[in-house]
Amino acid sequence: MPRQLSILLVVWLSIVCQHAYAISAIKIQVGEVNAPAGQLKNAQFQVDLKGIAPALKLHAEVKPINEKAFIPFDLNCGQFNTDKIGQIDCLDGHFTAKQVKAPFSIHFVSVPNDFSADILFNAASFSDESGLHAGENLTGQMKLAAKSVNNTWQWNGLISWTKGELFWQPFYFGKAGNLFEINGTFKSPILNIENASLMVNEVGKMTSSAQINTQTKTVEDIKVSAKDVDFAGLYSVFLKPMVEKSVFGNLDVSGKADWQFEIKNLEPRSFELNLRDANVDDKNGKFAFKHMNAHLPWDYDNAKTININYKSGHLLKMPLGDTNLNAEINRYSFVSPQLTLPILDGALNLSDVSAAMIADNWYWHLRMNLTPISMTDFSTAMGWPKMQGKISGQVPLVTYAGKQLSMDGAMTFNVFNGTIGMDNLKIEDPLGVVPRLNADLLMRNLDLGELTRTFSFGDIEGKLDGDVKNMVLENWKPVHLDAYIHTSEGKHLKKISQRAVENITALGGEGAAAAVQRTFLRFFKEFNYDKIGLSCKLRQDICEMGGVESTPTGYIIVKGKGIPSVNVNGFTQRVSLEDLLGRIKRITASNTKMIVK
Amino acid sequence: MQKFIFSFFVVAITLLNSSWVNAAADLDVNTPAISALKSSMQARHAQLAPHYASGAIGLTKDGLIAVRDATALPLKDRQGINALVAAENSDRSLLYKEIAAGNGHPEWQGEVRNTFAGRWIDKAQSGWYFQQDGGWVKK
Repeated sequence: MPRQLSILLVVWLSIVCQHAYAISAIKIQVGEVNAPAGQLKNAQFQVDLKGIAPALKLHAEVKPINEKAFIPFDLNCGQFNTDKIGQIDCLDGHFTAKQVKAPFSIHFVSVPNDFSADILFNAASFSDESGLHAGENLTGQMKLAAKSVNNTWQWNGLISWTKGELFWQPFYFGKAGNLFEINGTFKSPILNIENASLMVNEVGKMTSSAQINTQTKTVEDIKVSAKDVDFAGLYSVFLKPMVEKSVFGNLDVSGKADWQFEIKNLEPRSFELNLRDANVDDKNGKFAFKHMNAHLPWDYDNAKTININYKSGHLLKMPLGDTNLNAEINRYSFVSPQLTLPILDGALNLSDVSAAMIADNWYWHLRMNLTPISMTDFSTAMGWPKMQGKISGQVPLVTYAGKQLSMDGAMTFNVFNGTIGMDNLKIEDPLGVVPRLNADLLMRNLDLGELTRTFSFGDIEGKLDGDVKNMVLENWKPVHLDAYIHTSEGKHLKKISQRAVENITALGGEGAAAAVQRTFLRFFKEFNYDKIGLSCKLRQDICEMGGVESTPTGYIIVKGKGIPSVNVNGFTQRVSLEDLLGRIKRITASNTKMIVK
Repeated sequence: MQKFIFSFFVVAITLLNSSWVNAAADLDVNTPAISALKSSMQARHAQLAPHYASGAIGLTKDGLIAVRDATALPLKDRQGINALVAAENSDRSLLYKEIAAGNGHPEWQGEVRNTFAGRWIDKAQSGWYFQQDGGWVKK
């Protein structure tokens, strides 16, 4: 369809009576203009000639081709100058439209196929309809020069701002002091940025090139490169928005970084992030790495080797030592024959590690082997009571799929001169808000002497076995289990101190009964026993308790032997876990009597 | 203060009996999962509260929240708002699931969600936005 222009033009000249024929103002009204780029209507153009320099006012409604509705705008120039042909100066200008307020000055020079514009803006604010591209209180400068050669515009530009903030989804430039110098070509609809030099405050110097389709409004190709920039700024401005919803979306970071990436035909082609002496700290407290150096390359077509090392850190509060990790990354999969995470005096060795990202979800599996870690150091690091012994273990297969981590094979902890085995381990969403752990525990030959001294419970000599079946922890707190701990089979010393008897009695709560012939027993600090046992069938917060034997009115927790002998009976069969844990914490005195036979 | 208002809000909602369950469901049921979710939501509420008040975000009719008008947000908050809303919605969905599970009836999740959706709106402060018949309404 041929271009249709319909212009209704009304011009009238106002003639002021003082000076005959002197013109004080020119007003032009334009009814409607249709152009390929859009439509313009109800334009009122006024040039006021009364001052030293003419002042200009323009009001109109414009509808760019991609917009649905007309947008009214006002353009005023306090001083408007067109002394030279092809040159326009607008000083003390003001542009107002819906969601745009921009005080500005412009120096515009145009000759056929060549123009340049130099714009100064002062406390300018703008926003698009969605608010996803917006600036506030921006003060700075914008320069643009373009020349048309063989129907292709060659252009260069500069934008800098010294005050204000800019949001260009997904990037937020909160600090002023940014300078972007760019040049390229434009041949409709492709805008080609051949070279952009970006000086970003708090980050450093970056370079970029890009190809933008102005019709589809898509960035088809882009390359960005930054060398030796500030990692904190790079993370907060550029990386955080890209990983916002992942576990890396809420970090405190520092250090130096190099970063580059390339997207071609809307597909990522390559990426590289190098970190030097960086610190990474998850604000949710799930992990941290100190003095980290990393080389993290990725390429769509070629396999790359990634390397990460850090001096210290923690993962779910588990302290990590000086670590060096290497792995191969091949498009969306990741393999490593061996990854060793030193933990205190031992290490977690991961072997045959293989991971893949499928439909934005990670799936991985590995073998795991824990070389002995001192429980003394580990318990101290975790803020637990100081324990003796070592943890070690081997897990044939750990898999992670659909946010669930599961372990085939048992993990053994060698603690308290005995063993605690963990089997059938599954953890749903381990780094989420509600991690849910399922496991069975098998305790064998735990040294009660060491155990009771560790937890200041009052001395008990003997060996303890325990089975905890169907254990479920929600947010690391038990909500379901079938537990029974009891004296191990076989011959061993079985002695219980008076204090321990009192504490076990207190565990039984109000219903636990005891009778002490204090006149006689107070001379004895310890007693012999035959068996100790306690069971708990936990459902939500209610623990249904039992002991080594049932009695018509309850259960026996400690069954005495020899003379003097002491029995501790429990009567409360249903107890709230919260109460029980509260009692363990407060365990200082018995509130009941002991039964002495 | 925001913490207090939030706590009041949650308590008020959970204490009110719902109509569908004939007093069988305990909306105030507490499990470690529910407690973790409430803590997580409470910690986030300080960040969300000004955005409810400005109308940037609103309450949806399915018991979640959504970005209503990004232009009402300070520029610095526009970058993170989608992740913040997504995290809140993930917690809310899990909360409904856990409350149903805590009552021993996972199949009640839909009703728990519907009840909460109504209660969030009932207890919303004046000036907050909520969804009704496909549009946003200012309370």
